[in-house]
Amino acid sequence: MNEPSPIVLVVDDEVQIRRFLRTGFELNGFVVHEAATGGEAIRSATLRPIDIVIVDLGLPDMDGAEVVERIRSWSSVPIIVLSVRSSEAQKVHLLELGADDYVVKPFGMAELLARVRVALRRQSRAASGEPIVKVGPLTIDLAARAVLLNGSRLNLTPKEYRLLQVLAQHAGNVVTHQHLLKEVWGTIHVHDTHYLRIFVRKLRQKIEPHPDSPRILVTELGVGYRLAQSGQEGEAAANWTAPAAVPAKTDG
Amino acid sequence: MSRALRFGTLGEELRGLALTFCLVAATTAAIYAIILWIGLTRGSVLYLIPVLIAAIRWGVIPAIFAAVCGVLASAFFFFPPLYSLEIRDPQEVINLALYIFAAVVVSQLASRLKRQLELSRQREIDLAELYAFSRRLAVAFDVSDIHSAIEDHLAAVIQRKVVLFAGAREATQSARRDSAAVPDEVQTVVADVAAGRREASAGVAVTAAGGDVWLVRPVSPKSPEFGVIAINFGRESRESSDEMRIRVDTVLVDATATLERLGVAHAISEARMRAQTDQLREALIGSVSHELRTPLASILGAATVLSSAPALRDEKKLQALVHDVRDEAERLNNDIQNLLDATRISSDGVKPHLEWADPADIINSALDRCRRRLADRRVVLNLPNDLPLIHVDPVLVQQALVQIFDNAVKYSPPGSKIMLAARARDGRLIVSVTDEGAGLTHAEQAQIWNRFARGERLAATTSGSGLGLWIASAFIAANGGKMHAVSDGPGLGTTVSIEIPVTQTAVPQLESDADE
Repeated sequence: MNEPSPIVLVVDDEVQIRRFLRTGFELNGFVVHEAATGGEAIRSATLRPIDIVIVDLGLPDMDGAEVVERIRSWSSVPIIVLSVRSSEAQKVHLLELGADDYVVKPFGMAELLARVRVALRRQSRAASGEPIVKVGPLTIDLAARAVLLNGSRLNLTPKEYRLLQVLAQHAGNVVTHQHLLKEVWGTIHVHDTHYLRIFVRKLRQKIEPHPDSPRILVTELGVGYRLAQSGQEGEAAANWTAPAAVPAKTDG
Repeated sequence: MSRALRFGTLGEELRGLALTFCLVAATTAAIYAIILWIGLTRGSVLYLIPVLIAAIRWGVIPAIFAAVCGVLASAFFFFPPLYSLEIRDPQEVINLALYIFAAVVVSQLASRLKRQLELSRQREIDLAELYAFSRRLAVAFDVSDIHSAIEDHLAAVIQRKVVLFAGAREATQSARRDSAAVPDEVQTVVADVAAGRREASAGVAVTAAGGDVWLVRPVSPKSPEFGVIAINFGRESRESSDEMRIRVDTVLVDATATLERLGVAHAISEARMRAQTDQLREALIGSVSHELRTPLASILGAATVLSSAPALRDEKKLQALVHDVRDEAERLNNDIQNLLDATRISSDGVKPHLEWADPADIINSALDRCRRRLADRRVVLNLPNDLPLIHVDPVLVQQALVQIFDNAVKYSPPGSKIMLAARARDGRLIVSVTDEGAGLTHAEQAQIWNRFARGERLAATTSGSGLGLWIASAFIAANGGKMHAVSDGPGLGTTVSIEIPVTQTAVPQLESDADE
């Protein structure tokens, strides 16, 4: 790694959690700052350059959601939320407040690292204005409005392209149903999730090598969709080395 | 009832008078016959007979009437001057005085006897009611049963509308049912009395807007657990309502004695405590689970950091230990999640967040969650790519599927096949998971959906709380679906399936206008 070490701010009131996160991040070449309260986190984020924030939802002085909101009001630093509550409505709310991603406690370090890398990559791509998003065999050129699968150009309808475009702009992060529906179909249709389901199905037929078990356009149940980034895909692929699921030839 | 009684007395009185008159006439005829055949000069003493009969049977007025008639008849028929009502003989005056005295005394005695008889008959009825009441109390299951028993008992004994309020705010089931029938002003007084703001051991009379008089009083001044009653006296005169109040007092004294004898006050507080204990237990499970998960997050996180630490990379044995820590922590986490889910199901039910979902997404997400657990099974998927959308809470259905996979893994040997098939048929989506595991006996098929049901056959070799399938079926039921389990028998594998209704008609005009 030739780049300077990324700086991560870990906000959690549990010292044990901070300790394993510090070790985990340091082993993977990060510089770690810690904060035990929301106030400390906000002060820390204003005083020092930070590349990414990991914030726990249950803080003693304020709700983690408030920390997200306050930091987001002046900074575009990626924020990943740690939550014990696995309510989907709450995840959607956090994403709408400006969190980039969430991880439900308990979680493994590999899972968090994958999310962090994706968020950092998205941040650097946004900073450099890089118009090309690559997910495995799929390439999306946002400047040329072209989508290529294994190098050959795909024919997408305008709505299909728009859907892929929105996901690609947030590549690696979850995009909520509401956001997708608003961006692609307009505000009146924010509750028509069935539009999304049908279009995602069509899109997967075109972009996924195995539409039955999608690896590129991934569903986040009850929350939204995510365009898997190579980091996540790699992780997934590693875990699937002994394929647990063998899609049978469907008769339908 | 009392008005009817008064009409009844008037008729009775007239009838008594008429019969008395007949009796006097009969006595006259008898005396006449005796004088004719036996030669007795004066038989007027026989007129005491009708006086006594009238006094015993019909009361003081007919008796005096008999006395007067008797004297007049003897004056007319037997004392000179004959056939005139003129009284000359002082004997006649003495007779009259004697008859009237006898009439008054005997009728007093008779009526006292009668009243006592009536009272003891009433008492008998009350006792029978009381007996029925205590029998009902003996089988009462909870506080509201006891309260409605008190209510029904009072209503039966005093023949008035009775509403029992159990506490300051709560009313019994039936009170809630017809609380509209209790006027607001009465309810205010009830609340005051129940809260102890108002002394009412003797009862408070409240006149409602409609003109009805209600009596409000605690069932027992000593034991507030028994509640407060409101009795509708209707529009009765002060006297009869005073009578009624006395009656209510007697009934309540008996009822309270019965309640105390049966230890009902204790039972009521016990039942309340039980309800509170249940709440406490649910709260405890909730908070304990939460408290357990926080350290688990540290354990699991630390284990995953260790497992990829460079220092351990070449230490295969230590690696294995770290993986054990991770896997066990994960299992513990699943068990806690099950407990939390079970608490959620039993405490406030499951509230699904319905949305249109692709069944394939749900299935893939469930497989993804079970990825590690399914690693040493051969999973065969059969997912047609034209499955209909379903209107469900996708997360709940996913969690149900995870429970099914867990079960399939738990009861089947490593390396065996787990088949997952989805199909739409007759307006339903059916997702079935078939394993090559332990199968089910007939008895097991019947109990598999019970809470804490665990296969005894395999209890020694498998672990678990027995909550899994119970949670799954509750989650599926919350989405309007059903679950089934079939097996050809022990050792022959099990198929667990989920059935969810498909309301395809509710997905309208999509193809036409969603994409232009």
